[in-house]
Amino acid sequence: MRVYFRALSILIVLGSMLAACGAATPAAETKAATPLIISAIPDQDPEKLNRLYPQVAAYLSAELGIPVEYKPVTDYTAAVTAFKVGDLDLVWYGGLTGVQARLQVPGAQAIVQRDIDATFHSIFITNSASGIASIADLKGKTFTFGSETSTSGRLMPQYFLGQEGIQLSDFKGEAGFSGSHDKTIGLVESGTYDAGAVNEQVWKKTLADGKVDQSKVVAFYTTPAYYDYHWVLNPGAVDRYGADFTQKVQQAFFKLDPAKSADKEILDLFGATKFIATTNENYTQIETIGRAIGKITP
Amino acid sequence: MRPSVATTLKPRSLQRRGRSQRRWYGLLFGGLLIWALLTAGIGVDDLINERGWPLTARFLRASLHPDLSAPFLLLALESTLTTLAYAVCGSVVSLGLGLVGGLLASEVWWQTWAGAAAPRWRIRGPLVAIRTLIAVPRAIHEIIWGLLLINIIGLDPLVAVLALGLPFGAVTAKVFADILDETPRDSLDALRNSGVPPLKALVYSLYPQALPDLISYTFYRFECAIRAVTVLGLIGAGGLGYQILLSLQSLRYEQMWTFLLALILLSGLIDVWGTFVRRQYDLANRIDLNTAQLSGCQPRRPRRPASSRLMRGSILGVAGLIPWAFWYIDADWSKLVSPRTWRLLSGVARDAWPPLIDAPFLGQLGRSMSQTLAMSILAMSFAGAVGLLLSFGAARNLVLPGGVLDSTVQRGRGWWRWLIYGSSRGVLLLCRAISEPIWALLVLFVVFPGILPGALGLGIYNLGIVGRLMAEVAENTDPRPLQALQAQGVARPQIFLYGVLPTTLPKSAAYVLYRWEVCIRATVVVGLVGAGGLGRLLTEQLSSLDYHRVTTTLLAFIALTLAVDAVSSAARRSLR
Repeated sequence: MRVYFRALSILIVLGSMLAACGAATPAAETKAATPLIISAIPDQDPEKLNRLYPQVAAYLSAELGIPVEYKPVTDYTAAVTAFKVGDLDLVWYGGLTGVQARLQVPGAQAIVQRDIDATFHSIFITNSASGIASIADLKGKTFTFGSETSTSGRLMPQYFLGQEGIQLSDFKGEAGFSGSHDKTIGLVESGTYDAGAVNEQVWKKTLADGKVDQSKVVAFYTTPAYYDYHWVLNPGAVDRYGADFTQKVQQAFFKLDPAKSADKEILDLFGATKFIATTNENYTQIETIGRAIGKITP
Repeated sequence: MRPSVATTLKPRSLQRRGRSQRRWYGLLFGGLLIWALLTAGIGVDDLINERGWPLTARFLRASLHPDLSAPFLLLALESTLTTLAYAVCGSVVSLGLGLVGGLLASEVWWQTWAGAAAPRWRIRGPLVAIRTLIAVPRAIHEIIWGLLLINIIGLDPLVAVLALGLPFGAVTAKVFADILDETPRDSLDALRNSGVPPLKALVYSLYPQALPDLISYTFYRFECAIRAVTVLGLIGAGGLGYQILLSLQSLRYEQMWTFLLALILLSGLIDVWGTFVRRQYDLANRIDLNTAQLSGCQPRRPRRPASSRLMRGSILGVAGLIPWAFWYIDADWSKLVSPRTWRLLSGVARDAWPPLIDAPFLGQLGRSMSQTLAMSILAMSFAGAVGLLLSFGAARNLVLPGGVLDSTVQRGRGWWRWLIYGSSRGVLLLCRAISEPIWALLVLFVVFPGILPGALGLGIYNLGIVGRLMAEVAENTDPRPLQALQAQGVARPQIFLYGVLPTTLPKSAAYVLYRWEVCIRATVVVGLVGAGGLGRLLTEQLSSLDYHRVTTTLLAFIALTLAVDAVSSAARRSLR
């Protein structure tokens, strides 16, 4: 028996060494090509994200003439952190995560957004059995946000709740964080929570697809407009591909044409008709609110 | 390996002291449990959400028709392989760390190194320092390691491997150190006296003797690693945990069941394999390893493996699995030494130090700590009670035909006993195959958010683990007193009450206490799904990139874990 143990331990050591050598080589090769790495916050159905972003990567690669690679990220914070360490070049962020990411990387720029992002809203939904008809009725009820760093599912809803005189301590129990807009809708529909806040676009899409029982869930409040989702470009990419790279990327997005079927597919998956330019200054309101609520620290 | 009756008897005075100590711990536990129940709002608030039953029913109905389409099965297979590969890589890293760390954390190493004539501080000093050092990675949960390591390594499979390897390595090191310290030292002394240098003497004397225990423990760690990877999946390691969370989030229960079944299958296969290997070699079981009652202290019964072909297969399997896993994961190991990593590490250190403390935050921290404590107490009480109940059904020497609780006279009438055995084992496997946050999310369907769903999530998972080990305890009890009772014609319920229960209860309780420390760490993962406590606080701070406060919270967490560890090991000593 002991012979086996000894053989086993030798094999373990040899095997790990071999594997380590094998693993090192392909990684070195990909670095030489330096593709543009794009990513996105995981704000909705990941299956949809996996259909959309490889298409975006292919489109950008053709337009910009450089290799473009999509790296999926499964956590909002991880998407910000990976941008900070320089592993992601161009990322589709929400309002708050975009500000968080830019504050971590001096020189990062908000460059493009959808037409709908300049006047975005959050929708408050409630289970029809809960008897909630206005924001004031939320006192003493259970309530869920989406992801912790979601702009439309947490930051702006929490801000507008405060504006209407509702604090988080007014809810029954602790405010929940469902993790995604789809989940929020599901939990309110089931009655796990009396009410919740969701992204306007996701809500409309869910209604249009008939994926929700409207006798059980109703919308009762729409927030004022704010700036939301946008693409943020890492200055590291500008260093690599030249000073006019920002404009090139912007142009590539502006050129998406709903008349072309391939382009239309991308636009549809984004839920947009066209992309427009944006700047860092558009997000000062988000930054102020983020600081007030404690989601942005110095 | 069964302790003889004579060795379990203690002097009367010691027995009496143990009994009064036990009474104190019993009272303490009762008080804590009542406090925890009040904190969770039991009997005060309404906790059950009746409107959640339809969703639960939908989820359960989906189990009858999991998605078995070909492309989807392929995805499930791929995810299973990913989970397996990460678990293997993480285990190998933790084994490496454990072998080195275990040596450095063992008393025998420092004694050998310093020599017999060395002053006490030369041995205790470095020993205490290293034992404290390895307590830190243990107190921090894998998922927090993962979120922190992304800051230093970036997006790479290496993050998940290290997030698993570091805390597991620290646990392994602690257990290995205990094993080495408990191993007989005659051969070591002989080598040292004939002038062999310390390291060589240890490697050639203690390691060969301790090897079976080390291997047994490594197998347990591997089983845990599979489950831990499914939690890590939630932060992007991929694999089954990730897929389960995704399908749960997008409310596709049919697909979720496919992944759950794959996970149960994988977990079950590895459990069976581990049990088989341990049986073949008559290796120490988990509880003995953790309470340092090792087989190394007792003469090992020489036993020829019944099927060495299967064993040979196992060894070849392991030898093939490891290189495959490293190849499959394809982690960029150069990142460990790259200048960027060191630059980022110093950046993180700047961001995280000094820890931030101010008055309102301290209040919040205190509240969260008490919530975490209450959650863990509820979870472990639940796990202990239900686990104990199921463990008797799952012990093959009790209920099965021919077991001590078998009253069937006629042969062939005991099929329902097999049913009890099988379903108990099945429920335990199901409970531990699904990770805590997923259980918590499921419980959240019908229980209002707060401490209770978190505690239930942790409790259900832990009952799977504790129950299985309790079944092992029952199977390993000395059969002689039970046979004596049986021979005297004592009724079955009485055999159970006066024979089985008293012999198994102390060990089972000891294991629940041991597990309590692990459970405290795991409250973090249910915090991720909004169950409150320190975990909730930590995720909020991590998502705000507020690293000064993260440091404070982590320190509070480590303090709480160490305190629980101290209380639990003191209570366990009173049970011996």
